Amino acid sequence: MIEIRLHGRGGQGAVTASRLLATAAFLEDKHSQSIPMYGTERRGAPVTAFVRIGEKDKMVRSLIHEPDYVVVLDSLLRKTVNITEGLKDDGMLILNSSVPPEEIELLKPYKVATVDATGIALETLGRPITNTAILGAFVKATGEIGLESVIEAVKQQWKGTLGEINVKAVEAAYEATEVGDPKIVAEVVGEKAPAGSRADWRTFRPVVDLEKCTGCRLCWVYCPEHCIEMVDDKSVIDYAYCKGCGICVEECPVGAIEMKSESERGE
Amino acid sequence: MGHKELMVGNKAVAYGAVLSRVQVTSAYPITPQTTIVEYLADFIASGRLDAKFIEVESEMSAQVSVQGASWAGARAFTATSGPGLLYMHHPMMGCRLPIVMAVVHRSNKSMQPDHTDLMAQRDTGWIHLYCENTQEVLDTMIMSYRIAENDRVYLPVALGLDGYILSYTAEPVEIPDQDLVDSFLPPFKGRSAPHPDMTIEEWRANMSRGAGGYGTQKAWIDHHENMMAAKEVIVEVDEEFGKVFGRSYGGLYEEYNCEGAEAVIVAMGTIASTARPTIDDLREEGKDVGLVKLKTFRPFPHDEFREMAKRYNAFGVIDRNISIGSGGVVFNELRSALYNVDDKPSVLGFHTGLSGEEVTPGMVRRIAEKTLEAARGPVEPLVEWV
Repeated sequence: MIEIRLHGRGGQGAVTASRLLATAAFLEDKHSQSIPMYGTERRGAPVTAFVRIGEKDKMVRSLIHEPDYVVVLDSLLRKTVNITEGLKDDGMLILNSSVPPEEIELLKPYKVATVDATGIALETLGRPITNTAILGAFVKATGEIGLESVIEAVKQQWKGTLGEINVKAVEAAYEATEVGDPKIVAEVVGEKAPAGSRADWRTFRPVVDLEKCTGCRLCWVYCPEHCIEMVDDKSVIDYAYCKGCGICVEECPVGAIEMKSESERGE
Repeated sequence: MGHKELMVGNKAVAYGAVLSRVQVTSAYPITPQTTIVEYLADFIASGRLDAKFIEVESEMSAQVSVQGASWAGARAFTATSGPGLLYMHHPMMGCRLPIVMAVVHRSNKSMQPDHTDLMAQRDTGWIHLYCENTQEVLDTMIMSYRIAENDRVYLPVALGLDGYILSYTAEPVEIPDQDLVDSFLPPFKGRSAPHPDMTIEEWRANMSRGAGGYGTQKAWIDHHENMMAAKEVIVEVDEEFGKVFGRSYGGLYEEYNCEGAEAVIVAMGTIASTARPTIDDLREEGKDVGLVKLKTFRPFPHDEFREMAKRYNAFGVIDRNISIGSGGVVFNELRSALYNVDDKPSVLGFHTGLSGEEVTPGMVRRIAEKTLEAARGPVEPLVEWV
């Protein structure tokens, strides 16, 4: 029996990833369960899903508390969610990250696999939906499931072009995945967002070009988080509260605001 | 021999309706039942299911719509959850039409699952069947129509599946061939369906019977007798299902790894799945405790438990419900069933998993170990929350 926990954000496809893994296992004649954890999930908020692969009569119905593998679809999530909780000592982390495993800071010597799933998703799908890319990494790092099975599961999920580009994401991630040992540290420094903040939902952040900003206040009017302040008649965004929705970019009449990938700032 | 597909519990319900060739369906969406309505709408729109979908504004209307359809001679299906089920309570009460309804368990104190929703319909006169996995959901859908439409029974069936835990968990399911299902489940011949040769007296009698027979105590006696007759029919249908499809579920209950056991735990729904590997582990450790999975809650297998009481010294009843002010519903019924037996076994009660609280293998182990202790001597307390 192998047990897998997936962490992601609403919209990245963690639930679909768990479904695809269970399907791939099923295609290899194994019994599997794909378990989404439903609460108040919505776009951007942390989401957890689980997969069990093994014998049919060992399939319990509780959640997974001591996983063999933890798969993380979001590159910043590990700063706010305790992703190693309950992970078995010989367990492995499969992370969406643009840095090599040796630069990942952990308390325990787990095996770590990293892949820039966001970069691959943007390249192949044109949007930061990282579920299929991270599965390519899972296959490469663990060897628990065959690449062909995952590709077949992806093709069953999406027909036509959508299926093809997702297969490309799986394959590109499979090639790019690195496995290694993490940097062991005494304490992992997390980022704690202020109460009521949705800042950890961001995949992209809006950046204002102060030269172009005319101070018209349209972004200030439309920002749903009220996190834009006018300083000297220019828009200044409070990133402690900005959730990265991009409405300000849409509303700006002079194109002074641009969305930039969060991972571009060295995570 | 059919094919396999990875699917969630709710899709298994909808597939069951398709394979059973349901003719009329009506349902009002409510979490976690909603996707059943969506799958059914999809199946009907794509022509996979030739049925009339009656759109309604509430669960009350959904329930009376399918009752009307069943009265007119159509095989009818509906589905709901928690509060929606409570809203159906009035038309459900005393109904004697062979409808099948999926109840995707949802607590009334949260959106998460427990059995308080269906337990609140305990006395409505429906047959209650609880399922533990997705395959069992699909198979029980098909069996339910055979049971409901049986001449000795002719009563509605409520099929329970734990919301979220089963409704949204995907796992491989074997889907039998339509021909095989057709051979097992012949077309429905409604008793009350009107026809041109029917006298007005016959029609009135049938109408009244369907509604449960207004105005007479005899209607309650008949209803109860039909319900008690269902015990035999449920076992027969399960056995025949096993012969045709190669899978069976014990009918009223299943004894799992009980051989030579001193004590047994009693579980319903998905808790039974969690209990199986735990019981295997305990047996391997030499602890003589087994599992009784209670599938049929109504009609309640009183006699069968009395038989079991001759073999086991203790029963640990897991209730994913509570009758507030009294206790565990199954615990109370089982204890009452054993009142007149000689050498009464101990019966312990455990409340757990209410409002969707997780039930882990560790919790089941603790329950099983305490029950085993009770088989050898008195333990305290008799009832506890786990």
